[in-house]
Amino acid sequence: MSTTEERAAEQKRYAAGKSVLDTVDERFGSSRFLTSVLDKIFPDHWSFMVGEIAMDSLIILIITGIYLALFYVPSSTDVIYAPTSGHVYAPLVGQHMTEAYQSVINLSFNVRAGLIMRQAHHWAALVFLAAVLFHLCRVFFTGAFRKPREVNWIIGVTLWLVVILEGFTGYSLPDDLLSGTGLRVIYSIVEGLPLVGTWIVYDFWGGSYPGTTFLTRLFVIHEFIFPLLIVGLLTAHLMILWHQKHSDFPGPGKTETNIRGSRVWPQYALKAGGLFMIVTGTIFLLAGEIQINPVWLYGPYNPYTVSIGAQPDWYLGWLDGSVRLWPHWEFASFGHEIPNPVFPGILIPGLLFTTIYAWPWLDKKIYSDYGAHNLLDRPRDKPFRTGVGVAAIVFFADLTIACGSDILANDFHVGFERVIEVLQYGALLGPVVGFVIAYKACQALQRTGAHPIQRPLGGVIIRSANGAYHTLSDHHGNGHGDNGHGDNGHGDKADAVANGHGTAEEAPAPVGAADEPAGASD
Amino acid sequence: MTAAARSRRLLAGPLGLVALAVVVGSVFFVTGTQAHGQSNVVSTNPSDILAGQQLFQEHCQACHGYEGEGGQTSAPPLVSVGAAAADFYLTTGRMPLNNPGNEAARHHPFFDATQISQLVAYVNALPTITGTNQTGPTIPTVAPLCPTATPDPSDPGCVTLSEGLQAFSLNCAACHQAAGSGGILSKGNVVPSLHNSNMTQVGEAIRVGPKPMPVFAPSQMSDQQMSAIAQYVQYLHHPADPGGLGISHFGPVAEGFVAVLFGFGILLFAARMIGTRG
Ligand code: HEC
Ligand code: HEC
Ligand code: HEM
Repeated sequence: MSTTEERAAEQKRYAAGKSVLDTVDERFGSSRFLTSVLDKIFPDHWSFMVGEIAMDSLIILIITGIYLALFYVPSSTDVIYAPTSGHVYAPLVGQHMTEAYQSVINLSFNVRAGLIMRQAHHWAALVFLAAVLFHLCRVFFTGAFRKPREVNWIIGVTLWLVVILEGFTGYSLPDDLLSGTGLRVIYSIVEGLPLVGTWIVYDFWGGSYPGTTFLTRLFVIHEFIFPLLIVGLLTAHLMILWHQKHSDFPGPGKTETNIRGSRVWPQYALKAGGLFMIVTGTIFLLAGEIQINPVWLYGPYNPYTVSIGAQPDWYLGWLDGSVRLWPHWEFASFGHEIPNPVFPGILIPGLLFTTIYAWPWLDKKIYSDYGAHNLLDRPRDKPFRTGVGVAAIVFFADLTIACGSDILANDFHVGFERVIEVLQYGALLGPVVGFVIAYKACQALQRTGAHPIQRPLGGVIIRSANGAYHTLSDHHGNGHGDNGHGDNGHGDKADAVANGHGTAEEAPAPVGAADEPAGASD
Repeated sequence: MTAAARSRRLLAGPLGLVALAVVVGSVFFVTGTQAHGQSNVVSTNPSDILAGQQLFQEHCQACHGYEGEGGQTSAPPLVSVGAAAADFYLTTGRMPLNNPGNEAARHHPFFDATQISQLVAYVNALPTITGTNQTGPTIPTVAPLCPTATPDPSDPGCVTLSEGLQAFSLNCAACHQAAGSGGILSKGNVVPSLHNSNMTQVGEAIRVGPKPMPVFAPSQMSDQQMSAIAQYVQYLHHPADPGGLGISHFGPVAEGFVAVLFGFGILLFAARMIGTRG
């Protein structure tokens, strides 16, 4: 074939392909949409990818969850374990159990890939909540919740709450000894609520504990209601993010009205896709190699039996710890005795979550800053906020440790009462100490301009012509109005040039009525 | 970005796939169970009793008194504790104590098997020697496991793991944890893990009740149940762990550690490698 013929054939193919695309495009306007999607720019600071780790774990949770739902039987009907075929777990043969528990045992021993799916589902849930919490902290410490992103903060905290509840309902479905014990604790806490308590548990459990309708309801909640809520909220979360565009740290060439980073296609998509594969790989690695929640060892739930070490999953540990650390005080109001667990189980979490929800507005008051921000704070720029965050982390960590206090006491051979006492003081004093240390550390970092991990404290000392000394950071100042903390050794400029794919730039969505940047797409 | 950083980023995806492959290839298995029982006979041979008396005078008398009548210290009288108590305290290395104030905890046994059987023979003979007509439980015999998972009607002498699990979770899990990993009682009492106790020791612990553990007398717990528990505890030493590493069967606390530090740790590292710091 000659070159001209080749070129003609090529053009023909191209025209054919183009006409198909055009046909689609003329009807759906998809190319404009696609271009705007694929050219979208995301900053690629590593801490922004943790939200994606959460999203990836959620995808794994949904896929493995669908598989489990094919085999789980949400029924409290009493059966006697006597499988007729396949693997039999001998230590359970002949025992009374609910159909739900039996179906989980069969899922673990008889269903092809059932156990690895169960384990992947559970590990993914634990990793998911770690990612959500880290993501929440990232948003908090960088001030990403400030105007215009307050709504996403509210949606985020709600997501966290719903995800915790989703995890707890899932943990309760197998109806084994541990999950039954956990439900029993929640039942007592809710029942203890003044006035409404008994009604709520009556409606929810359909009578007394454990009841016969409860597992079915729990399943519907875990399988439909919460997942729909989570996916719905997450969609809103991401649409808002998409519209407002991601915030970024200040740096050379970064302003309140531009975004630098990678385009969705191809760079960012490849990064995100790679991360998804790593998340999948890690979760299935755990699922294949490390056993989680061996319900067959715990045995079926039975109201007369208890096991020590019946803790909830780690993300609810703080609630269990709060109940453990609360002193045995007794309160009565209007002649009505309020049961003890109500305070640590409902009052304390209520106060904490209210504060977290309200933080964007508290933050505005504290800093008298009601303006919109697309550039993030570095944690050190706001010592007070960072201090509060560290104090909260210390408090949650203390309560979480309290949840494992019996195992701690056992492993380190110290008295249980001793451990509790230490943790009680820890819950009161730890946050104060954490606050002070964080506050001072922020101030010190502000002075030196050094990065806390990468560079030793100190800086470059310059001697001027007249013999005076000053450091580079003195020279540049450190107010957060100064975006160009160019002395912090990030090497942003060099990176942008050597990046290969080049740093892309875009304008963020309009945030205020005023200075509206031209060419905001979306 | 440096060459090293780029290759790190390129590697990340394939690494995830390799991990996935490892997983898909992992194997499931259920291990077999132990079919034997354990029985011990206490010697009544005078030469054993005599040898036991000598050992007793050398190692125990200072605390427990000349003929086990109890001493000035906190050591209890041994006259009528019975063979099970002596055997339990000696084979688990709890006795002899170095110091009356010490806690009687599990150690490597101080005596060898012959010496222990001689001391047990002596303690067993104490009621006769001192003319007391009261005596404690003798070393229990643990029945073997039935060859089938369900009780075997033709062999009433055997027990099943299923009976064991039921009786264990009803009577023991509250202190020793559902998988026998141990726990804590109030007032600083540590409840030991059962992963080192053999079947005879479990039977003895049930009948003797090493303080602060309660005694489960035959009137409360049949020999059948006792044997079933002992067999089940034996099974718990190496339970079928079809899901992989058992991480000491400590449950949610250990699992949380693994998930947050190991699982999420890897992912955080990956995010750091993929993302930038700019
Ligand atoms: C340093 C003092 C001391 C020595 C030596 C000692 N014991 Fe003990 N023994 C005690 C104390 C104290 C207790 C109670 C411990 C407890 O209940 O935890 C005890 C408890 C026991 C018991 C359990 C009694 C019961 O009521 O169940 C037996 C059996 C026993 N000792 C046997 C022996 C034998 C056999 C020896 C010698 C090899 C020995 N002891 C050496 C101090 C001692
Ligand atoms: C009230 C709590 C409690 C209950 C219930 C209980 N135990 Fe114990 N158990 C203990 C404590 C505490 C010890 C440690 C005693 C010591 O070291 O002196 C112990 C010790 C033991 C030991 C000795 C472990 C070793 O170190 O060798 C065995 C075996 C044992 N228990 C088995 C059982 C069995 C089987 C049951 C159920 C029938 C049971 N226990 C029920 C608290 C309990
Ligand atoms: C189900 C759990 C959640 C998922 C899957 C999720 C997912 C994401 C993703 C992928 C992003 C963009 C990348 C990033 O900045 O990390 C994001 C941004 C954001 N998230 Fe979440 N999130 C969740 C929960 C939360 C929580 C608990 C909060 C805080 C209370 C929160 C607040 C925010 C905010 C304010 C942004 C915008 C950040 C910015 O523009 O700088 N999210 N989320």
